[in-house]
Amino acid sequence: MKYSYHWLKELSGTKKPAERVADLLMRHAFEVEGVESYPHGLDGVLTGWVLSVVPHPNADRLRVAQVELGKNDVRQIVCGAPNLAEGQKVVVVLPGASLPGGIEIRATEIRGVQSNGMICSEKELGIGDGHTGILVLPDEAPIGSEFAKLVGLSDTILDVKILADRGSDALSYEGLAREIAALDGHAPQFAETKAKPFKIPSYNRAPKVQIADKKACRRYVGLLFKDVEVGESPLWLKTKLLVSGLRPINNIVDITNYLMLRTGQPLHAFDADTLSGGVHIRMAKKGEKLELLSGEKKSLSTDDLVIADAKHPLALAGIMGGRHSGVTAETKDIFLEIANFDGATLRRTRIRHGLATDASYRFERNLDPNLPIEVAREAAELIRELARGKLAGARDEYPEKRKEWKIELALSRVEGVLGVKVPIFEVVQYLALQGLAVRKQNGKDALLVTIPTRRPDLRDEWDLIEEIGRMRGYDKVSPVAPLLPLVAVPGNPVKHFERNTKERLAHAGFTEIMTYSFYGVRDVEAFGLEEAGHVELANPLNPDQTHLRRSLVPSLLRKVKENLRHTDTFRIFEWESVFEKSKKLEVREAKMLVIASVSRDGGVREFARLKGSLENLLESLHIRGAEFVPHAAPESGDEWHRVQSADILVGGRKLGTIGTLMPFIMKNFGIASGMAVAVLDTEALRSSVETETVFRPLPRFPFAVRDISLVFEKKVESGSVVRRMLEAGAPLLQSALLFDVFEKEGKRSLAFHLSFGADERTLTSDEMDAAFERIVSEVERELGGRLNR
Amino acid sequence: MPKAKIETIVAAGKQALEAVADAAGLAVWETTYLGRKSELNEVLKGLKDLSPEEKRTVGPAAHEAKQALMASYTAAALRIERESVDWEREWIDVTAPGERQPAGHLHPITILEHEIADIFASLGFTVEDGPELDTEHNNFDSLNFPKDHPARDMQDTFWVKSEKRWQHTYIPRTHTSTVQVRYMQEHKPPVRIIVPGRIFRNEATDASHEHTFHQFECLMVDEPGKVTVATFKYVAETFFSRFFGKKVDIRLRPSFFPFTEPSFEFDISCIICEAKGCSVCKGTGWLEIGGAGMVNQKVFEAVGYKRGAYQGFAWGFGLTRLAMMKYKIADIRLLMSGDLRFLKQF
Repeated sequence: MKYSYHWLKELSGTKKPAERVADLLMRHAFEVEGVESYPHGLDGVLTGWVLSVVPHPNADRLRVAQVELGKNDVRQIVCGAPNLAEGQKVVVVLPGASLPGGIEIRATEIRGVQSNGMICSEKELGIGDGHTGILVLPDEAPIGSEFAKLVGLSDTILDVKILADRGSDALSYEGLAREIAALDGHAPQFAETKAKPFKIPSYNRAPKVQIADKKACRRYVGLLFKDVEVGESPLWLKTKLLVSGLRPINNIVDITNYLMLRTGQPLHAFDADTLSGGVHIRMAKKGEKLELLSGEKKSLSTDDLVIADAKHPLALAGIMGGRHSGVTAETKDIFLEIANFDGATLRRTRIRHGLATDASYRFERNLDPNLPIEVAREAAELIRELARGKLAGARDEYPEKRKEWKIELALSRVEGVLGVKVPIFEVVQYLALQGLAVRKQNGKDALLVTIPTRRPDLRDEWDLIEEIGRMRGYDKVSPVAPLLPLVAVPGNPVKHFERNTKERLAHAGFTEIMTYSFYGVRDVEAFGLEEAGHVELANPLNPDQTHLRRSLVPSLLRKVKENLRHTDTFRIFEWESVFEKSKKLEVREAKMLVIASVSRDGGVREFARLKGSLENLLESLHIRGAEFVPHAAPESGDEWHRVQSADILVGGRKLGTIGTLMPFIMKNFGIASGMAVAVLDTEALRSSVETETVFRPLPRFPFAVRDISLVFEKKVESGSVVRRMLEAGAPLLQSALLFDVFEKEGKRSLAFHLSFGADERTLTSDEMDAAFERIVSEVERELGGRLNR
Repeated sequence: MPKAKIETIVAAGKQALEAVADAAGLAVWETTYLGRKSELNEVLKGLKDLSPEEKRTVGPAAHEAKQALMASYTAAALRIERESVDWEREWIDVTAPGERQPAGHLHPITILEHEIADIFASLGFTVEDGPELDTEHNNFDSLNFPKDHPARDMQDTFWVKSEKRWQHTYIPRTHTSTVQVRYMQEHKPPVRIIVPGRIFRNEATDASHEHTFHQFECLMVDEPGKVTVATFKYVAETFFSRFFGKKVDIRLRPSFFPFTEPSFEFDISCIICEAKGCSVCKGTGWLEIGGAGMVNQKVFEAVGYKRGAYQGFAWGFGLTRLAMMKYKIADIRLLMSGDLRFLKQF
């Protein structure tokens, strides 16, 4: 909220300049987001005294005035205003200065008469709509003064961010002034409770008020004023509104806004003659409609609280009035509402209808139900003074009076929370300055604190400790190292594994990317996924961020495409959550790892490159025995290339899939370069880690290596050849390593290094020959491979 | 046999050696000066015919001479070895770029996460984690954000479309504080955890705003009186001083968060200008870093702790903001861009 420094100063009684007040608030109460001069745009605009007025010799509608601006400083000004008269105090802009609209004033000749300035109307000064003539100041106005300073527009504005739990009291000049005074160490300069009780006229002509929903409306004060004169507000009132960022409208609206700013209590004026029957505060009925002051037509929900007469809803309670019952220039009688509504109810309505107003903002923060009657008194006075309204009746429905409450505060708790000892007299002083009644509890090291109803944020001991802590200043709490038992903290194995794996990937040349957790239907479709099963946002930011992603790959593909604009060869990874709907869990989230190898000229070789890196990664993570089995695509197909992808299994459990993607996906994402991708389930990965490493003695006898070259008539996977050979060559064959592949005319030759050995002896060549023969015949029998001699 | 002759032999030998330029010459020299038929060998062989006095003087001199010539020979052999290499042919361009295995890089957020985790580990904190898609209950209700309360407006929230049969409403978490609740439901104090993680806010993206960014949460809970505001100041000050490698002061200002009471905003002394005032801290000498406070007893109640039985602090701050400060990244969007030209700088 934007606060005028002058007004705060007047109410709080502080002597500190604006900057110091801002600093005080900053350290002890609220963040001050700005301290700036009010941009009135009236520099060089002065007050003057009209010495004489004579008709313009060459124009019927113009007159020539001599205006005194100071001793021996009399200016001749040509003016067209009909209300200009000798002896008036007026507002003058001199040549060289400019008006709020940006109009620069020059000395000029108007129809042959020199004019050295301009006498201004309210509209020209930017302080009102009065344009029927020039602004005439009271007779006692000084001559030659800065106009802005004189009327209070020369002000400093404090933009204060009132905390969400202090809206009930501090979203008002009185509330913030009370806070400033407390921080300054004294009482505020306004009376907390008015001396005179509010008097309801004996012949009460105000319409009857009925509260149907006592939870949603805690109190309803309604005042009836007769013979109101709707018109312009006085300058002082306009000024107060202007510096607080509100536009003056008419005296009635201005009074309600003024009182809302000053006390925090929103008010609403109805044209009483539009009301038929009593006033009902109730939930809207099904199908009811309301045209608002803003002109918007709303269909109401049965959860919307409305103010209604016998027939129609008149206003959305606490949010906005209706057009039909609004105050106009012709209004004679006014029904003024000063009520207290439930914040949650209004908040739902505000969100439902997208209607945020100054009033709804305050009501949502749950105002003090004891405030309306205080405000009613001031309202009655102001309307009588400024609009000649006669109070003809009043109602006050207050079903359940809210009373102040008490909190017992143990002094030991203060030190226990803040970590510093605060002397009791200080504690009492801080609480008292906040307007709380404090009593020492007999025989206990505790205080009994009474909380006024304007402070619903103070509910328990900790709330009071916060008041003490901030009033005293947290600067006065010195850092203290905790004295605690040294407890061994259990590490989180999941986070540890994540860190270890990410570091190894980076060492292996993969760069970590982070991409959004959302994607759009465009990506879902380009990737050939079903939209069903996705968790969807109800309020997405844009059409490309509507669904929580089920796969990390589409975002990865977008990033691959973008990076290919400037980089030919790269390897990247991402470790993030994917989401989907689940029958059992409602939603399921899993952390996945996607790694990719890309090069412009790599083609299908990227598969082997990525697979090699993945095998290295698994080895370094102590994941052993991984098998790469050609990927089993589901019936309907998926993103993986039919014959260039493999599932990664460890002990029969699937860790993920590696391969290239379906050609249509690569086309959809516009990637022509070679690329292989692996998608791994990080939890499956982690649970496959061998936790215990047991040393195996080094071989004491040398292994002998023989090469074998086999020719096959068809595409045979080298993996199955190796498996066959290891079975047939057992126990002497220790390993078989593919070292050459040659394909020609549909034939496929594979060459392997075979390592033979035994733990307890050096093998004889007869033994090896026998094993070799077994291998050859097994491969021939099972896979149709022939020895390539 | 005069000693003078021996000296002459040595001098001649050394001089001749200087002229030797290759291995063949060196072999000839060796035969001439150290071989069986060399003058010096003759002297050594003739020693036995000398008188005892002569033996005493000539003997050591002859042996010394042999040592000297042999040392010269070794040195010359090394010299010739070096000079005999064809350096022209051996030459390589050492200034040409190396053949590199491509280097990988961790994301700057991850780098900082690890750095921060290490500092907190030294203070006895462990790293915890939780789901990014959580229930409204864990994100708001149990953290004392009542339904229909203005406190909910403090965080622009993405909501998930619910299915009729669902019992929960889900939201991409708006803060890592969800993990406070999850962790405390499973563990009794002492609690000392940190929670780094991705969070989501429904706000339009520009150079300084992202709808997806990273936060860091720190939670320490113990018996009443053991973990206080003073403890928080100590932990925060220690952390930031270690993180920035210089003394950093903490300033606490009053604030409001539903899940803490008292609550603070906390600022650190500007690390750029040493709190003198600069453009980064907008002349104030302080940098706004995050929010903190003493855990609200209502949160303890929500996780099943008895009211008043425990006390602790919770604080959170933007990991993303810290990364931007530390690396002077001007545009927040780079962090989620996946642009390798950016990522390879870390």
